[in-house]
Amino acid sequence: MAEVVLSAVNVHKRYGELEVLKGVSFEVGRGEVKVVIGPSGSGKSTLLRCLALLEPPDEGDVYLENERLSALGEKALAAHRSEVGMVFQRFNLFQNMTALGNVMSGLIHVRRLSKREARERALEILERVGVADKASQYPDELSGGQQQRVAIARALVMRPKAMLFDEPTSALDVELVREVLDVMESLAQEGTTMVVVTHELRFAHHVASAVLMMDDGRIVEEAPPDEFFSAPKEERTQRFLALVE
Amino acid sequence: MLASFDTHLFWTALSSGPYWRGALTALELTVVALATAVVIGFFVALGALSNRRRLRTLAWIYNWLFRATPTLLQLYFVWYALPQIWGVFAGRWFTPFAAAWLALSLNEAAYMSEIIRAGLLSVDPGQELAGRTLGMTRRQILGRVIVPQAVRIVIPPTGNEFITLLKLTSLAFVISLHELLTAAQELASATFQYPEPLLAALVYYLVIVSALMLVQSRLERRFTWTSRTRRRRVRAAAVPAVSHDAR
Repeated sequence: MAEVVLSAVNVHKRYGELEVLKGVSFEVGRGEVKVVIGPSGSGKSTLLRCLALLEPPDEGDVYLENERLSALGEKALAAHRSEVGMVFQRFNLFQNMTALGNVMSGLIHVRRLSKREARERALEILERVGVADKASQYPDELSGGQQQRVAIARALVMRPKAMLFDEPTSALDVELVREVLDVMESLAQEGTTMVVVTHELRFAHHVASAVLMMDDGRIVEEAPPDEFFSAPKEERTQRFLALVE
Repeated sequence: MLASFDTHLFWTALSSGPYWRGALTALELTVVALATAVVIGFFVALGALSNRRRLRTLAWIYNWLFRATPTLLQLYFVWYALPQIWGVFAGRWFTPFAAAWLALSLNEAAYMSEIIRAGLLSVDPGQELAGRTLGMTRRQILGRVIVPQAVRIVIPPTGNEFITLLKLTSLAFVISLHELLTAAQELASATFQYPEPLLAALVYYLVIVSALMLVQSRLERRFTWTSRTRRRRVRAAAVPAVSHDAR
């Protein structure tokens, strides 16, 4: 069993009357790729936000390498957030910065690296995700696939302990999905710890160490991909898979 | 036919010292009052967007107070009433220019705060979210990400405010500030000729506003995030020449 990097223990999250997470326990070990699927509104994104320390859970705890982070105040949390990389559905690149500037921003403002060193590292990462030639372009001038790869680079350059992906291909044109999945697949092969919320079932089947099914604020099933897709135990999972396949 | 237009008087007015100085005073007052208003307005806008109810209430009261009362009344108040209430303002340093600066800044800040608030709100919330996941502090996110993007939205209405404010400076003649309109009026009553002195003043206002429009289009291009500057040329005339402000 791999050492646990990030975990949630009995996490509850409410928005007013609505309880979005109804006691979710979840963990991801070093080098594991966990894929979360489920219908919209099932709490997948909220779970990721709790894991990314963006939302404090109302009940329960989030741990990063055995440190209980849900106990920390806003200031201390900010420092820890940079240790968890997050990639959003809509990329969320800083519109007023070039691709390079986006990737450098965390290194300069959070890691306090010199400009020269930040630039070196940023260019290296941009090279790795295949958009080094777009370094001086602004987000507006890039395709969705390129933007998402820059966003991955921006998270990756911080050398996070885990990378979280919130439907990273859902906002992309079909022909651009592949280039983003390819990058994610190679990250997985290099042993990056990842939690991915996605509807790309082939990716899940191919890359995941385990697949989780979420419904109505709970995790209803977790299994290795082969088992999950060929012989799902839960009726809810069977129905969902029948719908999306 | 024009009964008589004294071209000579027109040119004399245009190049005369009082006009120059008056125009300069109007321009100076507009620039410093707007700059001050942007700073105050920024903090009022932050207050209005704050999570803390007390700050929101304070911001609301500020905007209500300065927008619900006539600018002219505020000018009178600052110039005549304030020194009687507060000894500091009875000093010699409190010139008509200082009084007009104070009154117009406070007044304009209420309008600017709403413009700045709209600008801050126009920035996609995803930008803040991305900054937070990187571990940036709120201040860093505001300064490095949100404000630069809000500036682009804020520039055109601020150009409008500049023009409004420039014309409002002529109100300051009631507190004996020698600005452009004062110069025109003095010349007119000395010569009993109105067209030439007033037209000369008009020319000054047109020149100042034209210069502003040029500066504005430059600024807008500066805050358009694209590496190919020619692609999205922002039209210069984003500011209507006429403001329907009835302050």
